[in-house]
Parts: sequence; structure tokens; C-alpha cells
Amino acid sequence: MNGWTGQILRVNLTAQTFKKEPFSEEFARKWVGGRGFAAKILYDELKPGIDPLGPDNKFIVALGPIAGIPAPNTGKAVVAGKSPMTGGYGDGNLGTRVAEQLRKAGYDALIVEGKAERPTMLYIEDDKVEFLPADAVWGQGTYVTNDWIYAKYGKGVGVLNIGQGGENMVRYAVVRSLEGRAGGRTGIGAVMGSKLLKAVVVKGTKPIPQADPAGMKKVGHDDLREVHEIDKKTGWSIQSTNGVLAWCNEVAALPVRNFRKTHHPDAWKVDGERLNNARIATYGCPNCTMRCGITIHDDEGRESELDYENIGLLGPNLEIFDFPQIASLNYLCDEYGIDTMSAGCVLSFYADAIDHGAVAGDFKFGDAAGAKKLLGLIARREGEIGNLLAEGSLRAARKFGHGSEAYAMQVKGLEVAAYNCKFIPGMALAFGVSPIGAHHKESWVITFELKQTSRESYGPEKAKKVIELQRIRGGLFEYMVSCRFPWIELGWGLENYPKYFKLATGLDWTLDDFWTVSDRIYALMKLFWLREYPQTDRKLDYPPAVWFDPTNADTEGPIAGKHLEYDKYDGLLQHYYDIRGYDKRGIPTKATLERLGLAEEAKAAEKVGSLT
Amino acid sequence: MKVTVKLIGPFVQAFGFSEKQLDVPEGTTADGLVALVDIDKARPKIVTRNGRAVAPDEALAEGDRVVISPIYSGG
Repeated sequence: MNGWTGQILRVNLTAQTFKKEPFSEEFARKWVGGRGFAAKILYDELKPGIDPLGPDNKFIVALGPIAGIPAPNTGKAVVAGKSPMTGGYGDGNLGTRVAEQLRKAGYDALIVEGKAERPTMLYIEDDKVEFLPADAVWGQGTYVTNDWIYAKYGKGVGVLNIGQGGENMVRYAVVRSLEGRAGGRTGIGAVMGSKLLKAVVVKGTKPIPQADPAGMKKVGHDDLREVHEIDKKTGWSIQSTNGVLAWCNEVAALPVRNFRKTHHPDAWKVDGERLNNARIATYGCPNCTMRCGITIHDDEGRESELDYENIGLLGPNLEIFDFPQIASLNYLCDEYGIDTMSAGCVLSFYADAIDHGAVAGDFKFGDAAGAKKLLGLIARREGEIGNLLAEGSLRAARKFGHGSEAYAMQVKGLEVAAYNCKFIPGMALAFGVSPIGAHHKESWVITFELKQTSRESYGPEKAKKVIELQRIRGGLFEYMVSCRFPWIELGWGLENYPKYFKLATGLDWTLDDFWTVSDRIYALMKLFWLREYPQTDRKLDYPPAVWFDPTNADTEGPIAGKHLEYDKYDGLLQHYYDIRGYDKRGIPTKATLERLGLAEEAKAAEKVGSLT
Repeated sequence: MKVTVKLIGPFVQAFGFSEKQLDVPEGTTADGLVALVDIDKARPKIVTRNGRAVAPDEALAEGDRVVISPIYSGG
């Protein structure tokens, strides 16, 4: 089989055993890799109702047929498990040398089961797997842990690790890789921590099977240069992802003060120009052509790599407009291994809840020192508030009461990304229907709404656009596995991906073939959700209530007086369900499941929940 | 009439300024302003007027704030 190694490595931490398991070409073509493999494995192997932080959950690393190949931006891996945040399927995607090394070790995926007796590091080198003690770094952050690993094995290995956040099972703990960044904000770092799995280290020496290795080498080499040239020409990476901050501020889409406001006169202080001016280094993932990791000094002189989401949610969202302070909060999140996005939203929620009298406390917007302290408490689950905020904003809101759930900025338990949708209906839909909880990576439609249609519209064109982008962003790039930036930010043609797929596998697929796989995976993620929540309802596909609240509307600026409207949003949601072939709960119908080749999976779902 | 033009992202480097006030003839349209700033019509961009979408042939008014940005796509 070309393109895939054809092998999955299954490791059991309880028994300290491992085995290689072959998979068929049929499995490969149906699920392709990455999110597809992870969703199918978790759906088949997890019983509904298991504790995401218990030993029955599984930690998966999944790659795809172009992951790790020397081609544009292929140094990415999917990490997955049942999400401690949402209770549904959860995953993440991060840059890491593990993408290449695991494939060269001979595997397209790693499944880790059970729970170790003591802190453990898994070392995988081709056919060898070692269960090594990690006591020396248990309790340490991700930077110290990474240094310890590199000192043992050199810098050529691929490393995934967790910090104190994962060890203490903070629900939004992430998996870190210093060759990339972080991923798994659905709590996949906590899944590792629950298994006492501190790190996975991978080294591989075998060739990755490809249909046309000579062609792949030439094309990959040429394209790496071509995409890099496009970046140089457009200048995208000068301000990188943070170029969008100033734009969001202008069009009233910036998260300010727990998303209460949409713009701020001080936003310029933390925009892309200022970030570029403060740059001391730039980092990128393996095989990156347009390195997006602008790095600055934080207020303790440490290097801190920033992007728009970190800045938006740890900055203006907390009413902090000082780069060194934001960088310090970002550094701590990276060190502790907790998601910067959820951390920012949890802290902003806490400040807002105190402000509105839902809970007693002295943390205020703008208090960077207080935020730093709270991050430490969260990472260690220390004290009542540290322990509660480690649970995420929805669980904290349920404890605080006093209507605070309305302004916990989350969907299905996962906090939103740095786009204030109080009057951006299509993007609100994108958050609402993201299968893993609110996430912009699935679909992002704000420019479409402002340029191609109208901000006011709740029409089917917006639902169509959300689905179109889900098929690509949440589909193709999540199962091939590769970073979407060359396509989404530089306009590099989408046709390149079927090209690479053919060079790798020998298979000649059209883009429609890819969309069928995308739709299949999305439907399976919904079936996973149904089995966990048989009483699920369309209301769980709604964005935060505060965006519908007229008293929360802006009082000045471009969207003064405007807010989302429930009946119109529900209509937009129905457009989405109709196009997708989902029922009124947002669950795929039997006819849809049949069309997507999910008849067997549907039977398993019907044992627990009902299908229409 | 006086209007403010703000550029976003790599347009700042490409066109040599971040924000400036321009004195433009009455009746200047959004597209006309883009041409005045010497941004190629074919270059992908999104133009907003006072934070809202603007049609290319829409006439600007005194005091308008026009933002010209490359197309961001959410990363």
C-alpha cells in the first residue's frame, strides 16, 4: 500500500505491552488518516459514558498520507481522545517532528491505552518501544521537560509532552511540541496526564512508502520554494496571524472585556505592526514555508511565541494592552501546557462574573499580575478557585450561578476563539456547529459575510459557506494531515492536495472525493456525540447567549444596537442541517449515514440514541 | 474632503504607511480611493467604510474612515 505505512502502533500502559496492527486499504481510503482515523478508532473502541479522564479513554496520535513528507507545511499531527471539555469526540492539530518520525518509524497512528503505574515517557524507535520513568520531570513544565528529552536523545527526535496542566488534568490542557507549538485544546493534554504519560518521543529511520517517490521529491522541493516565495511576495508573515487584530478592531469583531465590547482605542498597542516591531525571533513547524511564530520577550525576558488567538484572548479580552505582559501570560500557558484560548476565556469569564456579582473575588480586567497568579493556581488545581477554573468556564458558571452561564463564552463546553460574533451570524453558526465545541479552525466566514454577502443576512449562503470550509479546514487538512495556511492565507491552490495525494498513494481523487470523506468524518463525530448525549438538542449548536442579548449590544460604533436574533439564528441553523442532511437535533439522518457509508456505525449509535 | 485611510497587515509595508488623512475630491468612491493609494485593483482585498462593508462605487463622505485590508481567512 503506497502513501500509508499500513500500520498502527497500539501501546498499553497498564500492561506495558505494545503491538503493531495492520490496517486495510479499504480502511485507509474510507478514513484517509488524521482526524478520520482518530474518529473511527475512538468511535469503535470507546464505550459511551466512559470518563474522559479515566483509564478507559485512549490517547491517539494520527497522521495522514502526506504528513511528514518534505512538502509545504506537512509537519503536523492530529492528537485525539474523548474530550474532557465537551464529553464528545475531541482532537487537536499541532506542528511536531513526530509527524515525520512516527511515519518513518513505520506507523500512521499511535493508540495509547490504559494507565501507567508511575510517570512514564514512551520512547518509540522503529520497531522498538520502551516504557521509561519520567519521575525526574513530573511536576516540571514543558520547556524543562523538552530540554531533558533533547539532552537524552538529541534534537532530531519528535517530542510530544505535557506540563503541569496536563499532569493535573486541567480540562483544557494541551499537548505540546517544541518543534511546533501546541494542540488538543479539547483537553488532550489532560488525557495524557490522566494516563501518567508525560511524553512520547519518536525516532524513525525507514522510508515512508510512496507511489512516486522521485516525483514527490521533486515536486515537494519545488513547492517548498514556491510557497515560500508567495509568502515573501505577499508579506503575510511580516505581521503573521496578528495582522487580523487591527482589522477585527475596525469591523467590531475583536473580543474585548470578555467579549462585552467589540473594539477598543488601545487595540493598536498590540496589533500586528507592534508585534513585528517587537520581534526577536520567528519559529515555524517542520517543513513550514511561512513561519508564523513571531516571538518577543515577555516581561521577565523570556522568549514567548505569539499568534492572534493568544494575543486576542489574553490581551484585549482581558483588557490588557501591553505586549510583554501578554507574552508572559502566553509563556506561562505554554510552560504549563494549557490552552491559551480557553485560559484567556476562563480568566475573562471569571473577571466578568466578579464584576457582575456572580461570585466574590478581586480579579479585575487589566490585572496582568492577577492573571499570572491565577494561571499558576489553575495549572496546579490549587485552592478552590484554581481547581474550579481548571474545569473550564461552563462548569465554573454552573457553580457560580446568577445567570453567569449566559456569558461563559463557550459552545458545548469549549471556549470560543478570538472573534466577537455578537453581530456576525455566519461565524456564530461556525462556532455553534463545530463538532468539537466552539473552534474557528473548522470554518471561518467573517470576510465572506462582510464582502460577498451581508453582515445582516442569515441566509442559506452562509450555511453553504460554513460547510464548504468545514470540508476543507476541518476535513481535508485534518486527515491528510497538513497545515492549511499556504492555501487559506496565501491562496496556494487547493488542487495541490489531490496532486500530493496521488504522488503519495497513486490514487487519482477529485476534490469531491475528498468532500465525501470530510462529510463522513463529520457525521461520525456527530454519532459519537449522540451516543454520549442521547437527549441532545439543537440548542447545543447555539453560540453564547450573551450575543443575543440586546442589553449587551454595542452602544456606539459600526454595529451599535445590533445583536444576534434567536429566531433568525435558528433559521440559519436549519439551513445548515438541511444542506448537511441532519435532523432537527443536528444529528445525521439514516439516509445521510447510508449515503456516507456509515450504516454499521449507525447501528451502534441506535443502541444508545435514536436516529431519524 | 478629508478622509482617513488605514492599511492592515502586509499592506503597511507594501504601500508605505499605516494610517493617513487624505484630502480627496468630493464624490470620490471607495474604488477611487483605493486607486489614489495606488493599490492594484486586482490585488485581493477587503475595503470597509466606518467599519461596514462598502460597494466599490459608493461615494465617500467627509470624515470617513476607510480601511483597506488583505483578505484574512481566520488562520
